Amino acid sequence: MRTLAISILAAGAIAAALPRAAHAVPCDQVPGLANPVYLQVGDTQLALMKRLARALRDSAPRPVSLVFTTSGSCTNIRTIYDRTAIPATTNVQYAPSIAENPSWDPATSPTLTCQVPAGGKVPDVANSALFTSACTTETPPATVRHVQGPVQAYVMAVPKASSQTAITFEEAYFAFGFGMAGMAAPWVDESQLFIRTVTKSTLLAWAANISVPADKWKGIRRDGSSMVVADLESSTSPEKALGILGAEVYDSKRSTLKSLAFQARGQYAAYWPDSTPTAFDKQNVRDGHYTVWSPTIWMDTEAGGAPVNADARYVVDMIAGRSVTPAPAFDMIAIIAAVGLTPDCAMGVKRSFEGGPLSRYQPAESCVCKYESRVAQSNCATCTTTCATGVCRNGFCEVR
Amino acid sequence: MQALHVRKAPKRALLAILSLAFAAACSEDGGARPKDAGIDASGPPDASCFENPQTHAEIINACTTAQKVLKKPNLPLLQSGGALPPLPP
Repeated sequence: MRTLAISILAAGAIAAALPRAAHAVPCDQVPGLANPVYLQVGDTQLALMKRLARALRDSAPRPVSLVFTTSGSCTNIRTIYDRTAIPATTNVQYAPSIAENPSWDPATSPTLTCQVPAGGKVPDVANSALFTSACTTETPPATVRHVQGPVQAYVMAVPKASSQTAITFEEAYFAFGFGMAGMAAPWVDESQLFIRTVTKSTLLAWAANISVPADKWKGIRRDGSSMVVADLESSTSPEKALGILGAEVYDSKRSTLKSLAFQARGQYAAYWPDSTPTAFDKQNVRDGHYTVWSPTIWMDTEAGGAPVNADARYVVDMIAGRSVTPAPAFDMIAIIAAVGLTPDCAMGVKRSFEGGPLSRYQPAESCVCKYESRVAQSNCATCTTTCATGVCRNGFCEVR
Repeated sequence: MQALHVRKAPKRALLAILSLAFAAACSEDGGARPKDAGIDASGPPDASCFENPQTHAEIINACTTAQKVLKKPNLPLLQSGGALPPLPP
């Protein structure tokens, strides 16, 4: 009975988060949906899409309407490389403007839904939540521009009732590579290992970090992050349950789940993405103590060196932390920080391929102070124009 | 290799140096791990860490005040020297 009740609650939670289809009319007939940009993104980027979509619709300097759908990163890459259209009448999501719904909350409210217009639509923007080389080694079409966006961390999560706090590289290798035969207690029940399908960044990123190829993982393969969350929340064997999630998905589920500290190969201790299990500062991602992360890759199309859709280029550049004109009427770093991603300008390490070795990194224009002011407490000096040391940017004295 | 952060624990520092030397000499599957286990609440960095990390191995073991977990699991399939067996087909 308890299991049934938990399942019903989990199903209810998922249903509440799903987009509302009551207004599923063709997107080009939705009043006020100006300057639409169609995006196909990983489901780990849903929180970013919702928050950014809301902000852009009401950004007076240059309003843009994000119309988005989610799919696996590898699928998204293929879609824009091959210029595959999202079929007509497919339900896609968008956010209401303030005028349409002033109380809409990107963290909790469902998106609105419209349908891809007749003829279908090739996405203006595609997203991969990991290096594209993890999906394909082919040379990208010259018409597709790639830029790196915020960093996405991935976690192993367990139910709140689990007593586990950490997992090592070797434990993960045996648990997911061998299943029950791996004898990596307590993760020996393959029906309690909740993983993703092989086109999903969450699986591919973890695969690269524990040396278990994506197609060899043991466990229950789920198509969506929300399904893994529901599996963990409803598990009747919490000690044996283990799932993989994007960190920003986990961050919104901390009341019911725990993430495990991860000890990489050759590392002497295990660390969480954040400095403590309860922090949100992604300190260990930024300084290299937590190794399971990928840069998000954002792709749009161009012809003759110019963007095919200028609004799409505007959005991609904004996500990537580049200067855009006109400047939006909102704080992009605040949006990135709020959804659990880390802007490149706050990183202190980098890598060049999925799961590859880390090296030190100094972004050209640091935003560490600004980022930390949003997720923790910044110890940086504040400024208006100049600093005794460093550069005054966004109200803080950044190191460079 | 960068100098280790040595505080008031010379024996531990020596152990760390030996551990690192061992790790460097091991195959990719090898590597020494701490012998103690349990959660280490945030606080001063311990002796077995790098103050000015440059390489991947040093970066992931750099000195930090972040909370950490020291863990040495019992893995029956782990081979001698810490080598991993091949994955099942």
